[in-house]
Amino acid sequence: MTIKRIRFMQELLTFFGLEGRLHLEWISSAEAQKYVQVVTDFTEKIRQMGPNPLKKIDAAVKGAI
Amino acid sequence: MNLIDQVEQLFIQDKIDIFLGYKALDGHLLPHGFTRDRMEELKALQVSEGRYSLEKIATHLTEKHPDIRIGMIARECNLRTLNLLYTWKQLNPENIETINISCCPSPLKPHSDCSYLEPKQTGAYKKTHGIDFNADPDTFLDDFNNKNRFSRWMYEFNKCIKCYGCRNICPVCFCDECSLEHASLVEPGTLPVDVPIFHLIRATHMAGRCIDCGLCEDACPMDIPLRLLYRQVNAIVSDIFDYRPGNGTDQSPFTIIGEKTVLEPKPMDAQLEGEKEYGL
Amino acid sequence: MDCKFVPAVCSYCGTGCGVLFEVIDGKINATLPMKSHPVNHGKLCIKGWNLHEYINSYMRLKTPLIKEDGRFQKATWDEAIGHAAVKFNQIKDQFGPDAIGVLVSAKITNEENYLAQKFTRAVIGTNNVDHCARL
Ligand code: SF4
Ligand code: SF4
Ligand code: SF4
Ligand code: SF4
Repeated sequence: MTIKRIRFMQELLTFFGLEGRLHLEWISSAEAQKYVQVVTDFTEKIRQMGPNPLKKIDAAVKGAI
Repeated sequence: MNLIDQVEQLFIQDKIDIFLGYKALDGHLLPHGFTRDRMEELKALQVSEGRYSLEKIATHLTEKHPDIRIGMIARECNLRTLNLLYTWKQLNPENIETINISCCPSPLKPHSDCSYLEPKQTGAYKKTHGIDFNADPDTFLDDFNNKNRFSRWMYEFNKCIKCYGCRNICPVCFCDECSLEHASLVEPGTLPVDVPIFHLIRATHMAGRCIDCGLCEDACPMDIPLRLLYRQVNAIVSDIFDYRPGNGTDQSPFTIIGEKTVLEPKPMDAQLEGEKEYGL
Repeated sequence: MDCKFVPAVCSYCGTGCGVLFEVIDGKINATLPMKSHPVNHGKLCIKGWNLHEYINSYMRLKTPLIKEDGRFQKATWDEAIGHAAVKFNQIKDQFGPDAIGVLVSAKITNEENYLAQKFTRAVIGTNNVDHCARL
């Protein structure tokens, strides 16, 4: 069910224009290596995408008030 | 048998206590509750081009009179809504009689009363900066890249005046406590509204629930293409969960409402509570 | 049991959107936008959507009130208008007509607005009259 729910959120965010910013992975407590790999890869991916565009807008709105 | 005779029969056979239809008043076709005490009014019963959510009125009547038997005019969209309201126990199917009027455009039936026969017009500026009302979710995804989609949705959402019209008019928004009024999600009393949270909350809630009647988009004073958003959300639900709201009466596997809902009167009117509090 | 829909005009602002009151058993239960109304074409702002709340509010004034000894007392319209007239005259005699100002509203008709400025200029005798649409 969680897989399906996350897929729903991913597709909704894609439609809205925030593609690729949500990731789900099953990692058992024994798979330390995989955990490190997944987190590093995802962090790298997000770094390349740049900051969340919503942040900029939030700051602009706060600045205006 | 014509519409009026059918309704008369329902009253004569004692199948209903009230019939929800339309009646002209000063040149406007408005919803009206026809009752047995005033049978002469039935002569004025009509079908209207403008669609009001008769189901929502039926839920209000049921809140006041739990056992009332209601008859109503039902188009395709009304029937889908009714199925959904039965599913979530907001109405009891045993207390509802419908007189079905087919109006969705189909090759067999060129005439239709549905206001959706004429597509909505989208202005030039909206086409270049926002989103075309008549866009198809798939072509929208193909035509624009991620960044472009984001800026177009933000352009649309930022116009929102937080009138809550989309929720108020929606026949399947029936929660006692609405997340859109939850202070930790949507800050009360400020504009612009929290974008895109406000709209994405509603989009998520409409997953497995919205029956695509289009009333919300009609009621939106800021012309936000809400139907497109909810259509895509339900396309996703249909892909992943193989569920289409309103087609039958089984509950959606994807929902935020929780497993159980009950048919019980909503909290008492503010008036009564206030009167109690102030001992009036 | 009875359920009817009564068309009306929103009383909150000068736009004048068409609303429909859902009346169940003689009590206004909800407000809907009127789809065929030429002003709003089935749309409302948040104030219009919540019209029924103030109509049914327990805090709503149903009779005029006059403050006596620091407490509001229920009064009739004749008493209230008489009381206001006496007080206006007192202020006018004591401080002159320019001590009084009149603010009128976009929610009353053109004719009523005209009357209000006439009353201000000709009866009270001051030019202190303004309109909410100009503030
Ligand atoms: S189209 Fe809009 S009003 Fe109709 S069910 Fe969906 S969300 Fe509600
Ligand atoms: S479905 Fe969501 S938006 Fe609609 S009434 Fe419930 S909480 Fe509010
Ligand atoms: S109807 Fe439109 S403007 Fe009003 S709250 Fe909904 S999205 Fe915003
Ligand atoms: S619904 Fe809003 S815009 Fe329309 S008349 Fe009322 S207050 Fe004015």
